[in-house]
Amino acid sequence: MSTTWLPCGVYHQNYVQDHAWWQTKFIKGKMILLFIILFVVIPLVADSYWLSVCNSIGYTILGALGVQLLIGYCGQLTLGHAAFIAVGAYTSTLLTLEFPWPKIMMDYGIAYPVSILIAAVTAGIWSVLFGLPSARVKGFYLILTTMAAQFITVDFIITGYVSRIGGRGQAFSLPPGTIKVGPWVIDSDLKVYFMMLVFVILCVIIMGNLLRSRVGRAWVAIRDNDISAEVMGINVVKYKLLAFFVAGFIGGIAGAFWISNLAAVSPEHFPWFWSLWLVGVILIGGVGSIHGTIFGSIFMVVVMEVLQLAIMPLADIYPKLLMDFLFIKEAVFGLAICLFMIFEPNGLAYRWWQIKNFFNLWPFSY
Amino acid sequence: MTFRAQIPGSFFYKKRLRILAVSNAIKEQDILLEIDDVHMSFGKVLALAGVSLKIREGEIHSVIGPNGAGKTVMMNIINGLYTPQKGNVYYKQKKINKLKSFKRAKLGIARTFQKVEVFGGMTVLDNIRLGRHLHFKSGIASGSVYIGKTAREEVEHRTFIEEKIIDFLEIEHIRDKPVGMLPYGLQKRVELGRALALEPELLILDEPLAGLNLEEVEDMARFIIDINEDEKWKITCLLVEHDMGVVMDLSDHIFVLNFGNMIIDGTPKEVQNNPEVIKAYLGEEDLYATRR
Repeated sequence: MSTTWLPCGVYHQNYVQDHAWWQTKFIKGKMILLFIILFVVIPLVADSYWLSVCNSIGYTILGALGVQLLIGYCGQLTLGHAAFIAVGAYTSTLLTLEFPWPKIMMDYGIAYPVSILIAAVTAGIWSVLFGLPSARVKGFYLILTTMAAQFITVDFIITGYVSRIGGRGQAFSLPPGTIKVGPWVIDSDLKVYFMMLVFVILCVIIMGNLLRSRVGRAWVAIRDNDISAEVMGINVVKYKLLAFFVAGFIGGIAGAFWISNLAAVSPEHFPWFWSLWLVGVILIGGVGSIHGTIFGSIFMVVVMEVLQLAIMPLADIYPKLLMDFLFIKEAVFGLAICLFMIFEPNGLAYRWWQIKNFFNLWPFSY
Repeated sequence: MTFRAQIPGSFFYKKRLRILAVSNAIKEQDILLEIDDVHMSFGKVLALAGVSLKIREGEIHSVIGPNGAGKTVMMNIINGLYTPQKGNVYYKQKKINKLKSFKRAKLGIARTFQKVEVFGGMTVLDNIRLGRHLHFKSGIASGSVYIGKTAREEVEHRTFIEEKIIDFLEIEHIRDKPVGMLPYGLQKRVELGRALALEPELLILDEPLAGLNLEEVEDMARFIIDINEDEKWKITCLLVEHDMGVVMDLSDHIFVLNFGNMIIDGTPKEVQNNPEVIKAYLGEEDLYATRR
């Protein structure tokens, strides 16, 4: 699955071409078109509602990238990723609200970007802490230890202690105008959208580059066969912890980004179900594929929105539907995963790969 | 007729002794790996009961013995996957008993496995690149930027891999295929390539010929000879194998294990003619009968 066939008549003449991301002119054109759509067409066309849908897609991508890295590339099953997103969100919130920034930094809007970086590193370190058991345990047992991360972090530390800082009660409200990047106050869906694009593109580039260099190969080797990885000179524990760090780092960025879209941050934004949801996203999108993370996020968010739109008119006839929407959502989530496991276990990314190859080889597919 | 060197007390006799002493000393220097009285037991099963062996640099050594003789256990001890309960392992006169596997790889010990342990989800090229992990330098920061240092390094190592390994092992046509989808014989070859990419000094080959057809066996035997003798590689090999024909032809030195005990070590000729070995392993009939 790893390689795509090149179209007829296209040959590489040196290794640089062969190592490139976008290998043909057609792909380059396609990607430029995608960027034009993302940066120009969508902001012009989409209304506030669809922009917010895009934002939650971006948030899901950022969250799921870390899960993809751990499960899909490093083989470390995790079911507590929402904890690291929460750590990122809370670190960033606390830093922007409580930290005595110099006035210049507040004025020029440096405080929030800096807090994102600090939040990412904090979440990374927090993630390494809960990745430590991975040195000893594998598979199902690791699921339990990462679930512990969820319950210890969100339900115990954040709900019990962190939320009480400043005496605000359960939620930190973010007054309008607090979130400021440079000269822009992030107060509309459009601005959040652009910020989301920047972060998603950055994180995807980082992931992609890591996976085609030394560190990424070591992760995939650990996933496929940890004993022979160790024999080939890879410090397995170190690389597992590095994977946890990078996953937590991206999770921290996700959380710190998401507070710009929220009026208030509370522990209820990061339930255990969100961790499970992210795993579902990568299962549907395709395990072990960055495309898959993006496709899975788009699929899950759009399906849920469409479901909501479909239920709205029905609710007039049967009001209980609206009341039970949460349960319907969870049922659909479960059903989607079941159907994907049965009919397309390799996920949407595999379908994408097939389609791409069909057109690369078309019309002579032999 | 007696030579002057054979008369005790004569000048030539003393000179011969000196020469012998010097050549013995060189031999001690040449020893790459030494296992000294190693004991290993799993519960009540004694897998190795006081085995000692010395591996000289630049030679092909083989370990033979019936199934369950402790051959693979010994390889795992050399490799660091097991720690012996008693006894020592020396590599270049340095004790490496407690050293972890990945650090031993850094010292220059590589291995292949009996059941192929390739990275099934990675392509052939990535498998071999991973073998060069220790030769790559880029870390997490330069790796995530990629442009510049890492890109240069990737191209540099790609050249090495293509010219020295993929060409040598004749696997050009599969370099972009995921290894998990390849036939067994090619997987074995990729595993050998991965071990070679480490540029080791000691290569442990755990049954490199098991499950291959005759043609592939001949190819593999040729690769092993090349690895050992070619100026480019000059790698000391430690072979575990059941194919007596190949073992007798390739090896400079053979160790025979039987249920955790070393029966004999010697040249192929000595081993073939040893009555104990014939009884324990080779069978009463023709030596070559074990060949498939």
